[in-house]
Order: sequence, then structure tokens, then C-alpha cells
Amino acid sequence: MTPTVPELLLGNFLCLTSPPPPESMGEFLQGRVAITGMIAMLSAQEAEHGIDARVWENAAIRDLLRQGAARHGAAFLEAARAVESDLNLATLDRVNADLRRALIDLHIRAEISGDQGLDHAILRFYRQSADRRRLDLPASPAS
Amino acid sequence: MSLTRQLEAYLGRIWEQPVQVDNMSRIPGGASRETYRFDARMGGLTRHLILRRDPVGSLIDTDRRLEFLAFRSFHGTGLPVPEAVALEEEGAELERPFFIMGRIDGGKAQSPFSEPPYGVHAAGIGQQFFSHLGSIARADPFALPIAEFAPAPALDSCWSRELDYWEGVINEDEEHPQPIVRAAIRRLRRAPPPPAQKLSVIHGDYRTGNFLHDGAGKIIALLDWEMAHIGDPLEDLGWAIEPLWSYGETDRVSGMLPREEAIAIWESASGLTLDPQAFAWWELFASVKGAAIWISAAKEYRAGGLMDPVLGFSGWYTARRQDEVIARKLCALEGLS
Repeated sequence: MTPTVPELLLGNFLCLTSPPPPESMGEFLQGRVAITGMIAMLSAQEAEHGIDARVWENAAIRDLLRQGAARHGAAFLEAARAVESDLNLATLDRVNADLRRALIDLHIRAEISGDQGLDHAILRFYRQSADRRRLDLPASPAS
Repeated sequence: MSLTRQLEAYLGRIWEQPVQVDNMSRIPGGASRETYRFDARMGGLTRHLILRRDPVGSLIDTDRRLEFLAFRSFHGTGLPVPEAVALEEEGAELERPFFIMGRIDGGKAQSPFSEPPYGVHAAGIGQQFFSHLGSIARADPFALPIAEFAPAPALDSCWSRELDYWEGVINEDEEHPQPIVRAAIRRLRRAPPPPAQKLSVIHGDYRTGNFLHDGAGKIIALLDWEMAHIGDPLEDLGWAIEPLWSYGETDRVSGMLPREEAIAIWESASGLTLDPQAFAWWELFASVKGAAIWISAAKEYRAGGLMDPVLGFSGWYTARRQDEVIARKLCALEGLS
């Protein structure tokens, strides 16, 4: 996904170590610091759950591609063969991008051909994958 | 030269007298423009003002002339909209395009990610929030300054103009394939809405966080008109009701009112009757537009050297929240449990 956790944490570092101009002190700087804190907190969640979510998502897309291949073309079977060489987030994301592109194509085929069963299976997958990638931000008190 | 000195030079030139700028302070929010509050003193008079300057990178590409004319269109009409003071599209002394508007002090904006903020005032603020939106929808856009510059679409092309634009943003800025929003776009194209009942000024970002309230139940300023245009009034209502702005609540829209009450207030103020089928289209569209903005934020975050955490947060956390909202809407539209 974009941006990645390494980018976000590097961004936090750069943001916090760059001196702001005088007019950006005070309320604006306080707001930026608060957001970098949120990003750091959410990065911890991503470190804990991000690999599981991606492994699950990539496997679920492969299942859908295999399921759709019989009716919509062997190319989807081929696309389902994309594998991760390791379990780094970056590797998982690279494979995920290829799998997602194939899934978009398959979903279009399902819609055009009236394959409602596959269409609904893909829609359910969307909901599950979004839930699994969810980051939970504790509500901050209203000012 | 500091921004304060640049601003003094600019105001001194256009007001033809020496101007002293004090209390210059950047304020958070308004991610598409750098926003500063300041006081301008000249000849014994003090004006409390806001500077909105184009950033180097932005959450969204918007036209400051449209925003300026939107303020000018509704200031003094009974809606709490600040005065538009000056516009410089070439940047002049400030080097980047900007405009200046009046400042309304004593109010606070709420982040959509804070706890439900309005307490006992939620219903009262909701009444004003949706009534003001209805008043914007009721106004004849061709009698307002914004019509000088905003193109007017045909009634039956409001939807396609907006969808084309935001799909174009996604096509240009997407850095990782996004199957959920792509499915939503295809659904919107398969089943377009009926023509708009009328053309209205569209605020473009009418939501929690983009107005000020006084903490005692009164809305005192409607802000952030940078995405203003002319279009189908259901567009703004769909955006205002988008679940992303509801503090995680499911029984009150925008953390204010039950959905049906909010719509009834809007109908009463706008003089329009909501077509549920048309509105379902605009509600899904609102989520697509949100996704486009967050996808764009992710790209701008990288392009800007990772220096703006608001862009990073929007392109990551908010994008994922938006995916959840869209996926649920798509399942609901198909009756999937």
C-alpha cells in the first residue's frame, strides 16, 4: 500500500528535525507533532498486523483467480501463480500489486458476463480485505 | 524576506498606505492551502485577516479564484461566510498565488477523528449545518459572483463531469492498484443518476471539520470552499453525509443528527425533494471522490519528500478507512450480508 511504514517513519523524522519558520510555530507545529504521533502509533499496529493482513489478502486473491479461471480464462490461473520470495512488507506489496491488477480484470469479466456468484464473492473479499487492513485510531478528545 | 514583510509590502501597495502585519501565525487544517492568521494595522485601524496561499504540494489541485468567488458569493447573504478581501493569482509579493479573507474569531473546527465533539449541541449544530447547506443549494448560482468563472454543466451531465474528473485523478495518481474504488466507479457508470433537479453552487468539501462553531451551539463560519463549483446539489449532501465524517457513529450523520432528520432539514431549506435513487448514486460517488483525494495525497506525500505528515496520514490511514466505507456500500447495494 502507499505510503509504506518506512516512508512514514522517515517522514516523521524529517518533519520533526526540520526547523519551521517563525510563523509556523505554535498551533501549526503542535498539530504537526500530533499527526506524527498518530502515524507512529498506527505504524506499530501495521508492524504487528500488516504481514498477516497481506498474506491473507494475497492468498484470498489467488483463490478468487483460480475460481474464476475456469470460466474467464487460463490467464487468471497464471496470474495466481505469483509468489512471494519472502515475507517482507515490500515483497508482499509487490506481489499484491500484481494480484490486484489481475483481480480487477477478473472482476470486470465477471460483471460483463453476468457471473453474479463470482461478482459477489469478490465484493465480499473487498469488505474482508478492507477490514483486515484496518488501522484503529483511538478517538482524540474534542477540543 | 519573511512572509510577514512580504505581506506588509503587498498590502501597503494595494491599500496605498503603510501597513504593519502583526501576530502572523500558521494554523492547521486546509491541507490544500497554507493558511495563516494575521492582523493588519494601518492608519489606526486593525483588520483581522486570513491568508490562504498555494502550497508547493497540495492535497488537491484547486483554483483559488473559484474559492475566492465562492466566499464573495455567500458573504453577506445571511450565511456565516467570511468576507473575501483580495486575490492574487500570480503571487505578487508572496511568490505563490494567494487570497486574503476576513477572519472570524472565537470558533473551533473539529477533526473528524476526534470524539463526537458537539455534546448537547449536536442536534442544534446539525440543524444549522444541514439548513445552511440547503440554503446554498437553494441559491441561484447564476445570480452570484461564482458564475463569472465556474463553468455550468448541463443538468444531465453534472454526474459525468464529476466522475470523469475524479476518475482522472485516480488514473493519474494511483501508485498501487485499488480494486475497491475501481469497482465503485464501474458501478456508478453502469447506473447513472437522473438529471439534476437544478444547478446549485456546490461547496465541494462541506463536512465536519470545515466549519467553526462557538462551543455553545452556533455555527459561526463556513470555510474551505476550495473545491467550489456549479453542479447537482445532491453532490454536497452526499459528501456531508459520508460515513467517514461520522466519528464512527452509525446512528447520527456527521455526529449530529439521524440521517432522516438531516435530509428533512436540507429539503426544507433547499426547497428540493430528495430522490432516494439519485441520492444513492451521489453517496457512492462521495466515497469515490474521497478515495481519489487520499490516493492523490499519497502521491503528493512522496513528491514532497515525505515532509507533510498530513498528506502521509491522509494517503494511508484515511485511504484505508475510505476503502472500508466503499466496500460496505458495494456489499449493501447488492444486498450482501
